[in-house]
Amino acid sequence: MHTLLLSIGFGLVTASILAIAAVGFTLQFGVSNMLNLAYGDVMTASAFAGYLVNKAGAPLAVCVLAAAAAGAVISVLLHRYIYRPFVRRGTRLFGLVVVALSVAVIIQNALLAGFGATFFSYQLSPDHAVNFADMSFTVRQLIIMGIAVAVMLAINTLLRRSRLGKAMRATSGNATLARACGINTSRVIDTAWLIAGALCGLAGVLLVLNTSSFQSTTGNDFLVLTIAAAMLGGVGQAYGAMIGAVALGVITEVAAAYTRSSFKEVIAFVVLVAIVLIRPQGLFGPPGSTTTVTEKEAVA
Amino acid sequence: MSLYITTLLVYVGVDVMACWGLNLQFGITGINNFAFIVFQAAGAYTAAVLSLGPQSGNGGFQQYLFGASLPFPIPILMGGVIAGVLSLLIGLITLHRLRSDYQAMVMLVIAVIGTIVVENLGSFLNGSAGLALIPQPFVNNFSSPVDYQWAFVAFTAVACLVVYFFLHRITSSPLGRALRAVRDHEFAAAALGKDVARLRMFSFVVGGVLAGLSGGILVSFITAWSPGSWLYVETLVLLTAVIVGGTGNNFGVMLGALLVPVVFNEVTRYLPQFGRPGLIDALQWIMIGSLALLFLWFRPQGIVPERRRRFRAPDAAPEAKLPPGTPAAAEPQ
Repeated sequence: MHTLLLSIGFGLVTASILAIAAVGFTLQFGVSNMLNLAYGDVMTASAFAGYLVNKAGAPLAVCVLAAAAAGAVISVLLHRYIYRPFVRRGTRLFGLVVVALSVAVIIQNALLAGFGATFFSYQLSPDHAVNFADMSFTVRQLIIMGIAVAVMLAINTLLRRSRLGKAMRATSGNATLARACGINTSRVIDTAWLIAGALCGLAGVLLVLNTSSFQSTTGNDFLVLTIAAAMLGGVGQAYGAMIGAVALGVITEVAAAYTRSSFKEVIAFVVLVAIVLIRPQGLFGPPGSTTTVTEKEAVA
Repeated sequence: MSLYITTLLVYVGVDVMACWGLNLQFGITGINNFAFIVFQAAGAYTAAVLSLGPQSGNGGFQQYLFGASLPFPIPILMGGVIAGVLSLLIGLITLHRLRSDYQAMVMLVIAVIGTIVVENLGSFLNGSAGLALIPQPFVNNFSSPVDYQWAFVAFTAVACLVVYFFLHRITSSPLGRALRAVRDHEFAAAALGKDVARLRMFSFVVGGVLAGLSGGILVSFITAWSPGSWLYVETLVLLTAVIVGGTGNNFGVMLGALLVPVVFNEVTRYLPQFGRPGLIDALQWIMIGSLALLFLWFRPQGIVPERRRRFRAPDAAPEAKLPPGTPAAAEPQ
């Protein structure tokens, strides 16, 4: 019982980080239809940006903001100067995925070349433990969970209440129709990359704060969980990604507590296979959205 | 020196064979198999375990399952078979149900997971240490190691020739045209009565078998195999080779396989060591990724483009009016 509650506690922290990452991933993919396999490596790059700021002696909040900003900038640059030109050139879907994979490998190895193959960690002040029932959190983990809840509420307000969010949902649903209704889809897509990039950077720095050490492949390893959470919720479905992330975060941590911690990704994979077999559109995706029947082209 | 040349030649053969397999999947049928290296690894592990004998051998310092010491061609062939079966399983999960970018996503996940599983299940394939001391096939027939190495090169070359003729039969037949039709316009192919799912599965499994064979041959020569040999990024090297050489063209792909993996690995071997350890490797990966991007941008058809097939409609033959090999450019957006 103790192990169970303890691992559920860990699971909630993982779920918080995963929710931010998965919502960013799914938002960007849903709106622009471009599968950004470099997402995990942008997370790492942002974590390194935060690391540099931390090393310069800035307070932790500044590091977090710097990482989010770095993620946003890198994502927008990737979209503007690499992905969009390829899309506009008429590179087909399966070529675009190779572009994304190449970008991922380039970013990951640029970090490796720049920083070296060792583990890094932020300089942090000592942390206090807080106990609830059998769950144990550090203050920092509680802050991480608080940030995640705040971000989810903000995304909810954005998508439900603002004109921009509605335009995003329209573009995600049918870009041609959205354009015909007078929505500047190009700007909407740019903004989606910006927001998704900020979430990506935020998830990167929070991940690193939680696990305390990281290296150039950290984000890419986390991409497995991110993809599984996004697909569990139904790709393109922001609310699905939130629920998928919470479910997956708790499932993986609990299962890892009873097997071994390196199997987290494997458990995520088992969940992923189960989704593909039972409900390929995910928990909240419209039927048929992931099958070959409705192949959409990426939009610029 | 002789060992260096023969090793290089075996690597060339293995890379060429693997790239042909990948080309059948990616170039001809349009399947994004980012897990390609996993199938090569499956073949390599199978061939290794089936020739190593029971795990108590060599003082029992390695742990693995299904140990056997089968005679020469069987371990390598079984490598192909197991890789084919694995392709079938993964194909059943991904190919039928998902559209192509989702497939790519799941394949990438499979490739990342594959190494994690093998590294952590120590008793399955000896974990992250990998397998070593794998017996070389037909080594006892040769008195000098040099003769043996050249004989192995000859064996690899023959295997490549057989594979080439086999692939040529596929790609130049009506079946090959059907596969290209699936790549260029899935719905048109389906409308013409082609079973898209079956065609995809066919090319996925055949490509997987070729990957497995190439892995089996490689491991029989280098006698060691570990998770470090098949990280998911290795697929990008083969993919880059296919793109550089000429997607869809077996001859071009052979050229790409000669240029990309071989040149990149060999050139860096001669560079003086500079910077911190691992820097050259990282730069090498950056170069590979950039090469793929540059080719996709400036010359997406590769060095030797796929031959454009034109079909003149014979008089009064209405069914010939829609050529299956219609290039992608003609597709409506």
